[in-house]
Amino acid sequence: MTQSKDPRLADETRLAEIRRRVAELAQDVPQLARIALEAMVRDHNPDYKGSARKAGRAGKQSGNVSELTAIATLKPGGADRLRRIFDLTDGNMDGAQRVSTLHDMRFVFFDDDTRILFATTYDGDWDTYINDFATKIPGLMDLLFANVEGWPGIGSPTVKDFIAGHQIDAAGWFVANPQVTVVDVRRYQRTEKALNAFLDAMAANAAMDPATRAALETLSRAIAQPEGVDY
Amino acid sequence: MGILSDLAARFRRDRATLALDDIQALILRSRPEPYVGLHAMLHVDEAAGGRDLVRRLAPHIPAAADWTGELEAWTGVAISHTGLAALGVPEASLASFPVAFRQGMAGRAEQLRDVGENAPAHWEDAFRPGTCHIALTIYARDDAALDAAIGRAMGEFDRSHGVTLVGTHRFGADVDAKNPFGFRDSISQPTVAGSGVEPQPGQERAIAAGEFILGENSETGAPLAMPEPAALGRNGSFVVLRKYQSRVGAFNDFVRAHAPEPAAQERLAAQMVGRWRSGAPLPLAPEHDDPALGGDPRRNNAFDFAGDPRGLVCPHASHMRRLNPRDGQLTILTDVNIHRIIRRSSTFGPKWSADVTADDDAAADRGIYFIFISARAYDTIEFLQQEWINRGNFIDLGEERDPVVGLHEAPGTFTIPASPVRRRVDGVTTFNRLRGGEYMFMPSLSALRWIGDAGWQG
Repeated sequence: MTQSKDPRLADETRLAEIRRRVAELAQDVPQLARIALEAMVRDHNPDYKGSARKAGRAGKQSGNVSELTAIATLKPGGADRLRRIFDLTDGNMDGAQRVSTLHDMRFVFFDDDTRILFATTYDGDWDTYINDFATKIPGLMDLLFANVEGWPGIGSPTVKDFIAGHQIDAAGWFVANPQVTVVDVRRYQRTEKALNAFLDAMAANAAMDPATRAALETLSRAIAQPEGVDY
Repeated sequence: MGILSDLAARFRRDRATLALDDIQALILRSRPEPYVGLHAMLHVDEAAGGRDLVRRLAPHIPAAADWTGELEAWTGVAISHTGLAALGVPEASLASFPVAFRQGMAGRAEQLRDVGENAPAHWEDAFRPGTCHIALTIYARDDAALDAAIGRAMGEFDRSHGVTLVGTHRFGADVDAKNPFGFRDSISQPTVAGSGVEPQPGQERAIAAGEFILGENSETGAPLAMPEPAALGRNGSFVVLRKYQSRVGAFNDFVRAHAPEPAAQERLAAQMVGRWRSGAPLPLAPEHDDPALGGDPRRNNAFDFAGDPRGLVCPHASHMRRLNPRDGQLTILTDVNIHRIIRRSSTFGPKWSADVTADDDAAADRGIYFIFISARAYDTIEFLQQEWINRGNFIDLGEERDPVVGLHEAPGTFTIPASPVRRRVDGVTTFNRLRGGEYMFMPSLSALRWIGDAGWQG
């Protein structure tokens, strides 16, 4: 029988369910077979390899990156207060950036502003870092989540249980760069800037010894040609 | 061999599957070189009067049948969304047009990246939203033929009422068809499947007709969404019109500032454009210009980038390679065949010369009416503006913009691949400033009559 809790399927007869499933499968098979086949024949670059592990207590983890999805009830007026905060910060949350493991945070209000969907992608395991957040950016955490019914406060010993209790594991989650952390990206950006300055200097360097020339040619071959994004 | 005689020699009527009798000639018909022409812009003050003019103009618009044959002059007509509304086209039809077309070009400034000095607030009056209702374009073999065609169109206009002539613009191109920067222009034209002419060996494959003609199958295998009813939409197409002021002096100065002597300056300019001044493409003429090649329509577009993945011959960032990457490897999943355009641009102002400097740009008398036709023209220009012109991500160049037609709010960079190390040229500014534009719909001949006769009332 179906494992779905969808009430619309509750009255479905066994025969109807089989018919529905066969029809769905027939529809999906060509595309699914292609995906499976591509996965089999493809030599995946380990640099880009993802996974679908658990991220510790709750959520999914792919490579070095984890997801947290939570749904909670907002206090009356909570949506408006949060909107004011988001408008003020204009998407630029200083505290969040200081955390250095947060890739993104998404806040979505629904059910007439009575509930909130919070979804975030972060590096590592959530449990490991919650204590650091509590000591480094308690103000931001409380500012954001004080609008959620029952929020115990970031300093409360029950805060982990509270969050885990509202978390829903993602059923499906795709990460383009599962091996790459926020820290990595910042280093890549610094590296590219410095590399470009170096290459500019080399481009203006008329007197180049053969070893330097050969090394630069190798470097250019590796980086100066567009490639499709490979997984 | 000229482009027209070349096409005529290859045209096979029995291979034509399009409704050529219903499609406006201007869509498929290549222009002779030299050619002259006129753009006219009309405003409809009163619906019945506007429809009367459309009805009387319709017989003067030739069909695409025999589109490779000789013709003294031909006229095309296109209508904006506010124009269709002003002509009384019913709300249900107006609402069936794609949202970008309904909003008009000024309304799409954000999607088009028309900001800063290119923002609609700075556009010429003729392009204020709701001004341009009907655009009429006449192409002709010579001035006498043009004058005769203008006379016929003006005769109909003089007999009309409730329509205002907003402005006219006369233009022409000599046998070299050069743009304001002194480069042969409008070279790369797609072959439209079903038009009766097939691509030759070395040329790109034919593009599905539905990319240019509404109702035909597009590259997706199905027709694109079409305005309703079919009497209005079928066999029509869309037109993008953008008027640019060309800062030829600033471009000349830039090239002079970054290359030591004239030959190196010509080379840098060619690397920015992707072609030499004659039209000879860098992939076929890597070292120097080749005017015989540039002027030969059988050869000047017969190339790909297979042999130049690093862009050492033709920079990835050159205007030509950006706007038609052909078989070149891109970083992003892209179907280059859905972004093709039928180019109908025209140039105005004095001929190019090397001694023009930035001081001369103050006259603002040089420029381009950048005009192209596609069944998804509004999508294509927004894609081009966002991805291929004002960005470099698709060729691994981050924020770098098109060195010729990009908007450079702050001076930009142009990357020239080289061995052993690439060169970056700084100080690229906006060499083509937008002065206005509009999204237009180019109806079929039967749709023009449908509009003129208020077919929805029947």
